[in-house]
Amino acid sequence: MSVPRPQLPPGIRRVFRLAVRGARIDDDVQDEVAFHLEMRTAELVARGHTPEAARAEALRRFGDPQRWSEAMGAVDRERVARARRVEWGDALRQDLRFGARALRRTPRFTLLAVLTLALGIGANAAVFGVVKSVLLDALPYARADRVMQVYSRWQDGTNDRGPLSAAMVQDLRERNRTFERLAAFEGLPRDAVLDAADAPRVVRVAWVEPELFRTLGVSAAQGRALREDDAAADTAYNVVLTHAAWQQLLGGDPRAVGRTVRVNNIARTVVGVLPREFVGPLGAVDFYFPRHLRGALRDPVRARGRQFLGLVGRLRPDATPEGAARDLAAIGAAMSREFPDSDGRFDIVAMPARDAMVGDTRTPLLMLLASAALVLVITCANLAGALLSRAIARRREFAVRTALGAGRGRLVRQLLTESTLLAVAGGAVGVALAAVALRALRGLALPALPPYADLTLDRGALAVTGLVALATGLAFGLMPALSAGRGDVQGTLREEGRGASEGRRARSMRGMLVAGQIALCVSLLAGAGLLARSLWAMAASPLGFTPSGVLTASVQLPPGAGFDDPAARVRFIEQMEARLRALPGVTAVATTGELPTRTMNRNGYGVEGAPATVGPSDNAALYQTVTDDYFRTLGIALRRGRAFGPQDRADGPPVVIVSEGLARKHWPGGDAVGKRIRFAGNDPWSEVVGVVADVAGDPTRLQPYPATYLPMRQSPWIGPVFLLRTAGDPAALAGSVRRALAEQDARVPLHDATPMAAFIADGLSGRRLPVLLMTAFGALALLLASVGVWAMFATMAAAREREFGVRIALGADRRGIAALVLRQGGRWMAAGLVAGVGGVVAMTRLLRGLLYGVAPFDPLTLGLALALLLVCATLALLGPVRRATRTDPIRALR
Amino acid sequence: MSDDRLDRLNLLPGTLDVLVLKALTWGPRHGYAVARWLEDATGGALQIEEGALYHALHRLEQRGWVTAEWGVSESNRRAKYYTLDPAGRQQLVAQTATWTRYAEAVFAALRTA
Repeated sequence: MSVPRPQLPPGIRRVFRLAVRGARIDDDVQDEVAFHLEMRTAELVARGHTPEAARAEALRRFGDPQRWSEAMGAVDRERVARARRVEWGDALRQDLRFGARALRRTPRFTLLAVLTLALGIGANAAVFGVVKSVLLDALPYARADRVMQVYSRWQDGTNDRGPLSAAMVQDLRERNRTFERLAAFEGLPRDAVLDAADAPRVVRVAWVEPELFRTLGVSAAQGRALREDDAAADTAYNVVLTHAAWQQLLGGDPRAVGRTVRVNNIARTVVGVLPREFVGPLGAVDFYFPRHLRGALRDPVRARGRQFLGLVGRLRPDATPEGAARDLAAIGAAMSREFPDSDGRFDIVAMPARDAMVGDTRTPLLMLLASAALVLVITCANLAGALLSRAIARRREFAVRTALGAGRGRLVRQLLTESTLLAVAGGAVGVALAAVALRALRGLALPALPPYADLTLDRGALAVTGLVALATGLAFGLMPALSAGRGDVQGTLREEGRGASEGRRARSMRGMLVAGQIALCVSLLAGAGLLARSLWAMAASPLGFTPSGVLTASVQLPPGAGFDDPAARVRFIEQMEARLRALPGVTAVATTGELPTRTMNRNGYGVEGAPATVGPSDNAALYQTVTDDYFRTLGIALRRGRAFGPQDRADGPPVVIVSEGLARKHWPGGDAVGKRIRFAGNDPWSEVVGVVADVAGDPTRLQPYPATYLPMRQSPWIGPVFLLRTAGDPAALAGSVRRALAEQDARVPLHDATPMAAFIADGLSGRRLPVLLMTAFGALALLLASVGVWAMFATMAAAREREFGVRIALGADRRGIAALVLRQGGRWMAAGLVAGVGGVVAMTRLLRGLLYGVAPFDPLTLGLALALLLVCATLALLGPVRRATRTDPIRALR
Repeated sequence: MSDDRLDRLNLLPGTLDVLVLKALTWGPRHGYAVARWLEDATGGALQIEEGALYHALHRLEQRGWVTAEWGVSESNRRAKYYTLDPAGRQQLVAQTATWTRYAEAVFAALRTA
């Protein structure tokens, strides 16, 4: 039986007639002209002309056939083109209208699809926003790709980005062939005191060679940047300040250039304000002071021995970053040979400034990008599965349309229009979600990201998101659309719509989609689990001290305020400690020069009586000045000997307390008490009076660094940090500390008062971000995969409803039916889990560098990920399977 | 347009279109028939290159005033037939009225002694 072809409406006829190609147009015009000329010639012959004369006369009357044919062809071509445009637009409008109507008819499907897509696309937009601002946006320098940063790399593996000595900088400057200019700066900003109108404030000062600004390619927003003569002895009082400092410290004074500021009791002249977007290699800084290396180079031993400088360089036009890195590495190797004592332990490394700033964030970011992409793939698979079911459910509709003359291409186009509609709607909602997510991320992520990153969805990120949405629409629409176009028209029309079960092809296609989702989901869950375990291991790893209940309060002693004498500093610290001890709720008070963090001072030291091969340059330890109660206040266990006490006077013999790790390194059994070390070749020996537990200053390092502690009385610093232990909330003490300090000496500013625990947590923030995001992605993937599993079983069960009815009517066991459904879908789930193991392998390879204290194939994590997925999948299964077993045989058979 | 026959009249601009529309009022015609009708109806007084006539037919089709379709001529040849569309008929009525008023006005002016 053949379906009779119905009378086509005129609209479609016009459509078909329009399918005229350019060649046809020209042929038609030729024919028309030829016909005319023939008729005219025949007429003239009939009137008695000779054929030749008749032909000539016909041509003469017609004019130039060539020219007229071209004119006619041009008119026709334009007409056809315009009609095609109109037709295309009409069809698109029709598709859109039809698609929107079809989606409105199934609001639950549409809502679910749009929401799923919004999550998938939103996750990608948010992560891409972060990635773009960190990895893709240019640094705010002129020709930023030509700027390199130079480091020393410690061959003992303890420091990848070490500072350089002044002599090293000078050697590199003289010997290199690849840099136009090099500019050194002190590797760490210094705290200083600014005499502000109301009260003194602590500011951060970077001492830099004036060349820095030209090297980076930055000019001032007001006034000028530093220049070479600013570092001359008599003009060294010129400074530039950053935009933020101009706003906060000078209130955005429009006449800031030329103003005098008093920093550390010395009057200095502001010569320029840097642009708002300026980011220096030192991070957040208020003032840039000019510094010349001359002073540091004066003493040849110290010039090589003291490493405290950072270095940036601008490449020569003919140099490549790789070539420059090789050039400097070779010079570094030569210096190691020439000065084995000072330079022997270091390599020189140079890397593009962007890489230096991106630093450790690259791997986590790329991993997050990959995770977000996986979520999007799952989203696509999910929706492809849903649209496939939808296409099968609509087979009758398609068959009718095909019978009415709609071509396969037209159907495919209709389906693609629908899925693109969904994708665009999902993308729009997704962008809104991403904007919200980024706002939430900003607080969380910025401390972990390079200083120049700003988390916004700019035009580039939006464009990429738009493309992703469109590509998604095509990707998840394509397969169902193609499978719909392939339908067997007559079979479908003949069959009862309800009884038709889906074909093998469609079933296995959906099965594969679900298996893929499960595989990806397992990988993501395992990755998130491993990262979470690492973070937990870091947070739970013994610090060697008890940060909770401790408030830290840093102050800065301004020079020229009577603290230049060490005894005055000691007096100030002791009086201040006494005041703090008197505060209600305070149980212990101590002072240190530096909090245990990852950026502590390290000094080389020598051990008395150690073999000659172990020279002073071979050992380095953290170097910390503390008051007597330091170990008790922070809860650092005393292993041997004693803590500092009143007997360790400034004029007494030098003493030191060392960490367990250091003691064990040099003395059998760690029995260090009574032994002696010293910090520089000609310093007096210091006697070890005590051994304390190791302290993990950097929670992301497995091994604590060896540490040395000196009594505050013997080397009092100008930036003491007070530590207060309290039984209550340490943050609540900040106000009392501020008042106590004002009573003690109003000229001394409080820099920072933070609970120690918050300080430690900050050190982990770079680790927390990927864990958080990846867990969110894992949860998202789990949700999507569960929906996918549910949809697969629901469709399968629905498609076989009639068969189940028959079976039940014939006396089949309902449990058997359930087993049937489970067997059919369970195979795909199992396949997904197996494939997921492969995904886990790939994921752990990517993650390896980020793991801490957990094996890449941690069975607990993997087991939990699998179990979680199985639980969710089982919950998703319950509905469809229950429905299958409850099939009403009478209804199914009717 | 070359003008070697001084006894024939040059066409005023816009005239050709309305004449072609008029030629189609009696039913579908191919281009040759339109040319013949024009010759007969004007006694051969108008100076028209026939190519221009065809150009006009195609333009009218583009404007949607006539529809073209391939058919078979009296002599059993494949020929393109033009049919006046409703829009073309309206156009013809409007332009005929305009032309009549114009011609009458010019004529009235010229007739005054």
